[in-house]
Amino acid sequence: MSFQLPCPNCGNRSVYEFRFGGEMKQTPGSDAPVSEWQNYRFNRVNAAGIQAEWWFHRSGCRQWLQAVRNTISNEVLESFLPPEHRG
Amino acid sequence: MKFLFHNKPIEARPGDTIGAALYRNGQRIFSRSFKYHRPRGLMCVSGKCPNCLMNVDGIPNIRTCITPAREEMTVKAQNAYPSLETDFLSITQRFDWLMPVGWYYKTLTYPAMWHAAEPTIRKVAGLGEILPSAPTEYEHAWAHAETGVIGGGWTGMQAALAAAERGEQVILIDDQAALGGQLLYRESAGQMPGDVIARLQSTTNIRILQNSYCFGLYEGNLLGVLQRDPHTAVSERLIHLRARQIVVATGAYETPLLFPNNDLVGVMLSTGVLRLLHLYGVPAGRRAVIVGESAAAEEISAELGAGGIELMAIVKPDAVIRATGAGKVDGIQTQTGHISCDLIVICGPRVPDTGLIAQAGGKIEWSDAQGAFLPTVLPRLVTAVGDAAGESIANTGIRFAASKRAFVCLCSDVSSTDLCDGIAEGFDQIETLKRYTTATMGPCQGRMCQLSAIGVCVRETGRSFAQTGMTTSRPPNPGVTLGALAGPNHHPVRRTPMHYAHSNLGAVWMDMGDWQRPRYYTNRSTASEADRVLLEYHSVREAAGLIDVSTLGKLDVRGADSGKLLDKVYTHRFSDLRPGRVRYALMCDEGGVILDDGTISRLSEGCYFVTTTSGNLDFVHQWLEWHLSCTKWDVRITNVTAGYGAMNLAGPKSRDILRELTDCDLDSTSFPYMACRQAEVKGIPAILLRIGFVGETGWEIHCPAESAEELWRAILDTGREFGIQPFGVEAQRLLRLEKRHVIVGVDTDALTNPYDADMGWAVKLDKNDFVGKRLLTHAQTTKDQSREHLVGFVLQAPGLPPDGAAIVVDGQPAGRVTSSRYSPAKTAGIGLAWVKTEKAQEGALIDVRVDGGLVKAKVTMTPFYDPEGRRLRQ
Repeated sequence: MSFQLPCPNCGNRSVYEFRFGGEMKQTPGSDAPVSEWQNYRFNRVNAAGIQAEWWFHRSGCRQWLQAVRNTISNEVLESFLPPEHRG
Repeated sequence: MKFLFHNKPIEARPGDTIGAALYRNGQRIFSRSFKYHRPRGLMCVSGKCPNCLMNVDGIPNIRTCITPAREEMTVKAQNAYPSLETDFLSITQRFDWLMPVGWYYKTLTYPAMWHAAEPTIRKVAGLGEILPSAPTEYEHAWAHAETGVIGGGWTGMQAALAAAERGEQVILIDDQAALGGQLLYRESAGQMPGDVIARLQSTTNIRILQNSYCFGLYEGNLLGVLQRDPHTAVSERLIHLRARQIVVATGAYETPLLFPNNDLVGVMLSTGVLRLLHLYGVPAGRRAVIVGESAAAEEISAELGAGGIELMAIVKPDAVIRATGAGKVDGIQTQTGHISCDLIVICGPRVPDTGLIAQAGGKIEWSDAQGAFLPTVLPRLVTAVGDAAGESIANTGIRFAASKRAFVCLCSDVSSTDLCDGIAEGFDQIETLKRYTTATMGPCQGRMCQLSAIGVCVRETGRSFAQTGMTTSRPPNPGVTLGALAGPNHHPVRRTPMHYAHSNLGAVWMDMGDWQRPRYYTNRSTASEADRVLLEYHSVREAAGLIDVSTLGKLDVRGADSGKLLDKVYTHRFSDLRPGRVRYALMCDEGGVILDDGTISRLSEGCYFVTTTSGNLDFVHQWLEWHLSCTKWDVRITNVTAGYGAMNLAGPKSRDILRELTDCDLDSTSFPYMACRQAEVKGIPAILLRIGFVGETGWEIHCPAESAEELWRAILDTGREFGIQPFGVEAQRLLRLEKRHVIVGVDTDALTNPYDADMGWAVKLDKNDFVGKRLLTHAQTTKDQSREHLVGFVLQAPGLPPDGAAIVVDGQPAGRVTSSRYSPAKTAGIGLAWVKTEKAQEGALIDVRVDGGLVKAKVTMTPFYDPEGRRLRQ
C-alpha cells in the first residue's frame, strides 16, 4: 500500500503519514437497541469499492479528515475536513 | 590501486569493476554453482546473472562484475571449499541421479528426516554466508519528481531531455556507472553523441542517479531505488522516489542459449564480451567461436576482430551439439566437427526488461513476430520507450533443447531435463513449474532463465507462448539487501528531563515504549535488585520516596465546552468537578471496553489538566480530537507531555519534606486527598495533585520540564534527613499491587469492562450520553455470569507465579494471573488474576500454577494494604 492521500490542509501526501480511522458510519442513538450498538462497534461493511472513511494526519497537520476512497484501486476520490454540524 | 582477493593483491585500473580487474589478472572461475558446485565464470558482465557473486568486505552476494574496485577491498569467493579452482563438493554432480528435480519433496518425507538432512543441505548448497558483524551502514532518502526516467541509455536520455524541455523536474535513474547504455560498448548501436550527456548534466531540472537500480514500482508511482555507494559513510541508500509519471527505458538484456555445457567457464553472452572489451579493455579470450543467427553474429564478429580476439567460426544455434572442456571451455562440438577455442560467444535472444511495468499492473503479452513478451497495456502514468517497449527486438529461431547439462537456471542448477521431468510429473503450468523446480526463483529472479523456462514448457506441452504466459513479477527485483530496507541502525529513545540525575544515582534502565525509565537505583551499592527494590519499597511505606513520572501523557484541555467533551469521552462526570479538585478518569470504547485511565484535574473554570498512561497518549489525544471533530464545541487540546516534568513524592514524611519547599498549605483539611493546587515549589511554578497510586500520602508534582531536574534534586536534598529514597518502576509496581490499583493494558485486556475489574464506581450511568454508555448499561444490568472477574489473591504457600500463569479450579483451567509480587505487607505472594465470576468472592480458594505445580491461593476483593485508604488521606 503506497498510495497518496490528499490532505485538505497539507496537500497530497504518502499514506504512511496517516493513521487509518475506520469506515465512516452513523452512530446509533443513545436508546438504540443493544444489537445495533454491538453491530456499530464490532461489524464492518468492508466494501470492495467506494468507501467513506476517517483518516488522521499523524505526521502532518494532526487533523482528522474524511476521504472517499475506492478500496480496490486505492484511488482517493475526494477528501475534506469533517463538517461541524453532526455532533 | 590494489585490492585483496583471498589475500592476494590484485592490481585494478581506474574505472575497473572487481570482476574486470580479476579477469584481467587471469581469474576465470568466479563462483561455484548452487547445487553441483560447477565452476562458473563471468557471463553477462552487467549484474544480471548469478555467476560473479562474491563476498566483498564481509558482505555476501555482491555482484562483482558491476561493483567498482576500491583500494584495500577484501574479496572472497563463496560456496567453494577449499578454493574456486578445486572444490571438493563438485563431486555432487556425479550424484545428480540421486537428486532429480524435487528430490527432497520425495525423499525427506518425515520431519525427522528433514531435520537430520537440513544442516548438510544448507552447508552444501547455497550462496554466501551472512556475517552479522560486517561493518555496513545504510540510509534512506526521499525524492520527488514530475517525471522519473528509468534507464540511462539512448532512449532514456532522450526522454529525460524532452521532459526537462517541457519544464518538468526530472530524475534519471541509471544502474550503470556512466550514462549511455549500449552506446558505451556496442559500436553497432551507433556513435555516442557527446553533447547529449553534456546537455543532460548541465540541465538544472534533471537529477541523475548513477549506480542506482529500481527494484520495485509500487502503487501511486512510488519507485524503490537502490543507490550503491552514494557517499563514503554508507554502502547503500534506499530512495523512496515518488514521480507523477514514469518513463520505463530499461532496455533489453541478452539471455543464454540452451545446449549441453552452456554453463562452462568461457561461455559468455556477446554483450558481456563487448562490455569487458570496451568498458575495461579486457579481451575475454584469444580464440572465439560465435554461436548465433547470421545477422547478429556478423555484427559481433566485426567488433571482436577489432578487439584482437581471433574468430574461429560462427556456428548457428541449431548446429551446436555441446560445449567441451573440463570446467573451462576448450572447444565446441558441432554437427560438422569439433572446433577448439577458449571462448564461446552467445548471441542470445534479447528480452525486454518489463518487470517494473508488470509489477505496476501493466499487461505483458507474447509477440510471435518479435519473439518476445512485450508490454501491451501500460499502467496509468507509466510509459515504455525503446527496447523495453520492444522497439528493436527481433528474436528468431530460438531452440529449447532438453539436456541434463543444458542449464536453464544458473542460480539453482536447473537443467532443461529437470524442467521436462517437472512437466512430466504434472507441473505443466509455468507458475507451478517455477515453484516445483525453483527455476526463475534465484538471485537473478528469472532474468537469465525465464524465457528458456517458458520455451521448454512450450515445447513439452505443445501449448503456445501466449497460452503458457509469464510468471508473475514481484518486487524486489533485482534483490535488495535487508539492511538497505531496514535503513539506518538507530532507534530513537525518549528521555525524561531528570534522566541524568537518575544516571548519577545508578539507575538500571528499562524500556517502556520509546521511553527509558529507571527500574531501580543501585546508588553505588552492590546489593541485589531484590534488596534494592525492597529498600525503595520500605522508604515509601515508612518515610518517603520520589519517582519520576514524567512519562505520563499530559493534555491541557481548555475552552468553554471542555467539561462537555470530557463527560462524553470519559465514564465519570467532569463538568461538575470543582476547580482545585482531581478525579480518577476511566475511558471506554463504545463496547464498554477499558481503553485508558488517568486523572483529570480542574485547574480553573475553563482549564482541565488530563493525564493518560505513558503508552496511550497519542491514542487518547486522537480519540478526544475525533470526538470533537464533528462538533462546534469550544475546546482546545494541547499535548503538553514534553513541556512538563513530573514526579511523585509519596510516604508518611512527604508532607514534612514538601513543606520546607513551598508556602502552599499542605494540611489535609485545606489540601485534602484528590485536590489540586498551583503553587511554587522551591521557586518553580508547579501543579500539585494530591493523589496516591502507591497508597501513601503523596503529591504528583508537575513543573516545567526545564526545571524538573532542579526540583527533583531539591526534593531529594531536602528529604535526605527524612530518609527519602528515589524509587523506580519495580518498587512502584509492588506498591500499587498491594493497593490493588490496576494498570490498564497489564491487568486489563481487550475484553475488560469496568464492572469486570471492580471499577463500576468510576462509571456514571446516570449522566447524559457518553461513549460506551449503552453497552455498559447492558453489562451492568445483565451481570453476565459467564464473564471473568479481576480479583486479588494471596498465596497460601511459598512461591510466586509468573505473569500469565494459569488459575486452576477443580483441575480445569479457570483463569490467569496478570500481576504478582511478593508483598512485604502480607508477607506472602500476592497478585491479580482473572477468574470465573463464581470464584470472585472473598475467601474463595483457587489453585495457581507455580513452577509446574499448584499452590493454593485465597481470593480477596479488597486491597492487600490499608484497605480503608486511611494512609492516603492522612
